[in-house]
Amino acid sequence: MKILFKEVHELFLATQFAGFMSKSRNRQELYEFANIFFKHFTWLENDFIKNGITYNYNINQIPIKVTKLSQMLNNIIQRIESIEDKLSSCRDGDITHRMQSDFNYIKLVLQNMEDEDVSSSFDTKRDYLDIKLSNEARDALTLFLFEESYKEYELIMVYNYSKANSSDAFLNRIFQILIDESFFHLRSFGQMMSEMGILAVPRSIMEEVYKFNDLKQFLKNGIAEEIGAKEECKKLANTISSSSEYFASFFTFINNQENYHIALMEEALNYINRL
Amino acid sequence: MNADAQLMEHMMNPKNYGEMEDSDAIGMGKNPQNGEKVAIYIKVEEENEPIIKDISFQAIGCTTTIVAGSIITSEAKGLTFTRAKELISVTLGMLDNIPPEDAACSEMVALALQASIDTYIERQKDRDFPMISYIIKTDCTPKEEERRDENTI
Repeated sequence: MKILFKEVHELFLATQFAGFMSKSRNRQELYEFANIFFKHFTWLENDFIKNGITYNYNINQIPIKVTKLSQMLNNIIQRIESIEDKLSSCRDGDITHRMQSDFNYIKLVLQNMEDEDVSSSFDTKRDYLDIKLSNEARDALTLFLFEESYKEYELIMVYNYSKANSSDAFLNRIFQILIDESFFHLRSFGQMMSEMGILAVPRSIMEEVYKFNDLKQFLKNGIAEEIGAKEECKKLANTISSSSEYFASFFTFINNQENYHIALMEEALNYINRL
Repeated sequence: MNADAQLMEHMMNPKNYGEMEDSDAIGMGKNPQNGEKVAIYIKVEEENEPIIKDISFQAIGCTTTIVAGSIITSEAKGLTFTRAKELISVTLGMLDNIPPEDAACSEMVALALQASIDTYIERQKDRDFPMISYIIKTDCTPKEEERRDENTI
């Protein structure tokens, strides 16, 4: 079942990143399927927890460099078929029945999806639409997108692990909001990476990042990191403001969103302090 | 492929990234300043002298650390311990020529490789020898920030 869990995790990422490659209405559909696969992932995770089985979020690297979307869609279908072969390793028949039902429909849709040329997602040209970026702005943006796309994926997984392993309704509400926020940021950054031709799946997360013992300390560190991220956004907005008003405005928007994340983490911290 | 393209390739597809479950030894490089760390896993084959048959790394760190890990582990794969130590020495010798924040990342990876080799050597004498960790010496504060801090009243 651990292999099944890992493959579902990889399927979720492969589908999410295929969504970033698409520039048509396929994108939204792939996003929805990625959401469904993430839900499958959490079902299996809950089954591990219910049965007292230790698990981790280790994954293999996920190659996504293709020229046509259909290549990626075939890869996703192969991944689903490999998972279908392993469904019996999960003893909860309700979970696997629901997964199988989702797979039947999703495979059919994927097989009939219109093909697209997606080679520009990997051409490393690092242009963004018709915006003229200076070399300094282009380098700063490139580094930022690599750092932050990983960070958002990490946050999704960290908060997901915390949520899965906590039965506190108040904290879980906050964790869920933070997961949703990080999904929004990951999608914003992923789409930009695809547009700039530098799309890549984030690396696997080290276990000690999400398996922490001290939630209070984790939240304190998280607040400090969010403040750091705000600074990075501010710096980036300043660096690229002369190149693009759009980017400057986008990163100011992201910067201000971090305030909300900080407020949520402070809320969680205050709650724990009162316990 | 030019240098920039190679760099982008390491950023987009870091080589040898991930945990190695059947490794013979693990070593760690740490930066206590910001909590970043690199773990290097090696699989060793004993011929006339030990050879790094396979290698992988994991990191809690920035993109520069990932790029350094990707490059250094790619170069270390297939080397004898003697050659790998030369690679470590060359890497550490270049640190003065690069910006401190980048130097700290490269040092962390080089020390993790050194630690994995040293752990392996110790394990030949004592199978239960714990993983060795080394701490970097480079201060990773960018020079610009240092100057600003010095001028702050």
